Amino acid sequence: MTAIAKQVEDFLSTSAPFDMLNESMRHDLIRHADLLYVTTDNTEHFKTGEPRLYLIQSGQFSVEDGEGAARHLSEGDYFNYAAILDKRFYPLSVHVDSPGLVYSFAAEDVCALLELVEVNSFFTGLRNNALQNHAIADSNSMWLYKPLTDVIDKAPVAAHGNTSIADAAMLMTREKVSSLLVTANDKLIGIVTDRDLRSRVVAHALDTALPVKQIMTVNPTQIGNSRTLFDAMALMTEKNIHHLPVIDHLSQSPIGMVTASDIIRHQRGNVLFIIGELTKANNLYELTRLSWQLPHYFAAHAKRAGDYDIAGKILSQATDVMTRKLIGFFQQDNGKAPMMFAWLVYGSQAREDQTTGSDQDSGLLLASTPNEKQAAYFADMTDYVCKGLAKCGIKLCDGNIMASNPELRLSVDEAVKEAERWVAAPTSKAIMHFNIFLDVRCAAGDASLFKQLQKRRAPLLQQKMFLAALARNSNDVSVPLSMFQKFSYEKGRKQKDTIDLKTRAVALINNIARIYALADGITLPNTVARLESLSDKSELSSKDAANLKDIWVFLNRLRWRHQLENKVTDNLVSVSMLSSIQKHQLKAGFKAIERANEAMVMKFSGGVG
Amino acid sequence: MILQWLKRQLTLAAGSSLTKQLSGRYINNTDLLAIDVELTSLDAKATDITSIGWVAGKGGQLSLSSCEYFVINTSAALGQSPVIHGLTHDILAQGKPLAVSLDKLMPLLQSSVLVFHNASLDLAALNKAFIELSLPVIDVIYIDTLKLAVYQLSKQHQVLPTNSATLTVCRQRLDLPSCPEHNALDDALATIQLLFAQFEQFGLDQTSPLSQLLHTKALGKYRLGETQDR
Repeated sequence: MTAIAKQVEDFLSTSAPFDMLNESMRHDLIRHADLLYVTTDNTEHFKTGEPRLYLIQSGQFSVEDGEGAARHLSEGDYFNYAAILDKRFYPLSVHVDSPGLVYSFAAEDVCALLELVEVNSFFTGLRNNALQNHAIADSNSMWLYKPLTDVIDKAPVAAHGNTSIADAAMLMTREKVSSLLVTANDKLIGIVTDRDLRSRVVAHALDTALPVKQIMTVNPTQIGNSRTLFDAMALMTEKNIHHLPVIDHLSQSPIGMVTASDIIRHQRGNVLFIIGELTKANNLYELTRLSWQLPHYFAAHAKRAGDYDIAGKILSQATDVMTRKLIGFFQQDNGKAPMMFAWLVYGSQAREDQTTGSDQDSGLLLASTPNEKQAAYFADMTDYVCKGLAKCGIKLCDGNIMASNPELRLSVDEAVKEAERWVAAPTSKAIMHFNIFLDVRCAAGDASLFKQLQKRRAPLLQQKMFLAALARNSNDVSVPLSMFQKFSYEKGRKQKDTIDLKTRAVALINNIARIYALADGITLPNTVARLESLSDKSELSSKDAANLKDIWVFLNRLRWRHQLENKVTDNLVSVSMLSSIQKHQLKAGFKAIERANEAMVMKFSGGVG
Repeated sequence: MILQWLKRQLTLAAGSSLTKQLSGRYINNTDLLAIDVELTSLDAKATDITSIGWVAGKGGQLSLSSCEYFVINTSAALGQSPVIHGLTHDILAQGKPLAVSLDKLMPLLQSSVLVFHNASLDLAALNKAFIELSLPVIDVIYIDTLKLAVYQLSKQHQVLPTNSATLTVCRQRLDLPSCPEHNALDDALATIQLLFAQFEQFGLDQTSPLSQLLHTKALGKYRLGETQDR
């Protein structure tokens, strides 16, 4: 019998997609595999014989296979999968840049594994450079979509049908429950609630020595434990019941009970709930107290990928609510504003992708140029609001991009003139300065004022020369991949393998989405929304837009999870903390961003980087 | 004087017969067999084999189906050895008799060039086992990756730095991935990978004769099963 070396097992059990094989499948794959030490003079392996699938464990290679142009590959990369997927021979040429170990798998074995959805979608995904993540499809999940198994925390209180009514009532009292499951042979046959005891026993002066099965509701409505809290809620509303037994979907035996009060309790745990609470705050003290709970709420309740997707939105909404409340508090003490104004937010808050480390970026748009007295009112108001937000945990902006800065309190006319200045001289220094203002949203005040500005500004920002300058500027940042598609890490950090997902990746997608959106005349600030609403005329294909959106969502998940799990506010995600499949996804994502960025520079600036 | 002369003649004879045995052996046609044994002690005369692992390869390629690993059911005193390789009495009790593993190994020993990291200890242990089990006497040829490493190191250092020639450190130097240590099969697999990388380091290609490594003193022959006067 062939033995399996631990290093082989270790490597393959951490290499997606083979990490998800069960042990015996993985061992079969290993037993028929070869291990090559590939040097410049033994690359004939690749030229002859049956096509095989290759996985690099060490070394660096430039490979041309059925995938077209040469790719630089290294540790963890596969090649020649096109030949396996298409079941045909493609010429394969491997140039050794630095020798190393390469696993070689028999086509037959890999083909057998392609029957598995995960394996198949992994390799087809590699091929299409798409991000392989099924979870993204169901990203609108929320706390309501908790599986019932996570919701029920208590074994069911159950009794046999022949138990007397009195004993049943005593059991319920002792267990502090309002309903009792009646079982026979571990199967659910009925349910008794407080209400049954009132209406069927006390109201009829029934003998409490009678068996409980005489008063139970026979064959009550029930739900499988694989369903969600939402399903339970829907069912309870439909049947107008307050107690819903949960059944193990395999054994059919009852494993718990969901009650109306459980649902209320879980609703309180919903982050949306805290936004409701924020709106009810009556003074600065209450507002700050609630705001400081936000990070805890996220940490305690955001568990699934879908939760991270909406976390940024919720935080932005919460910040909007805080801003509106603070403006309200100020006006209570100082009277109404002397003219119409719009409170504008920029950058991440505008895009609704705030994370816990985001600082405030705001400005004020005024109906007209204020006189001295009016200016003083707005200076006081903005100072109060910005300081108030800081007290609520939203950091003051280091760059002083805040409405409290008098330079950022402009009338509509002044703001349009400012945009004219941007467009007239888009130097890279100027772009650095005004890029943030291009993602803008009205968070409070008079939205119509903001609409005026947008309408007057849109044609200016659509000018070709201006977009070309923006595109060139975006080319200055590159994705953190080396020539050989290895991750390149941030230098000078305590942890050696971190990548700043915000500046090195998310910001790039934001740039791409912004430029295409400006070109298309879209005034929305949110990156996902921008990508979704690009018109047919846009030069970004809908496929690329959808792909960038997926990548953006994926990156956001990673950084939210990083912040919540490590209780930090930075975006320095450690690559070693990612699963094998996430590493592949991240790499695929970076490559797609790079391609999209290059294509954008080509389109808008004619390739002049 | 005469004794010295005799000794020299014998060494020369041994050397020349090794050269002869290596003729016709090239990198791309030489079957290699990397073997590692875990032992109860580092004293070659008194040591017993607790586990043995091997893997075959040729020309930079190896088939994982050739991997073999045996835990040996030995009753010998283990000393401090379980600390190193984790093989305690309980595990060993479920092992196979040494004879079973050597039966399986026997045909490979003569058809392949053996690969060891520190050949002398492993060969001495195998030799002792051959004698104890009264196995037929056989001649084997081997390559020692430790000696190859030492040859390279001694070009840079007068005195070798401590721990500079362990299997792990040698692999690191040639950019091979790290792997678990002190399991006979893993060490054998690690050793053959190291040898492939060393071939590259020494500038050998697929058509180079193995005898190109003779000057490193890393190649040798050994008679297993004969009481050796050392």
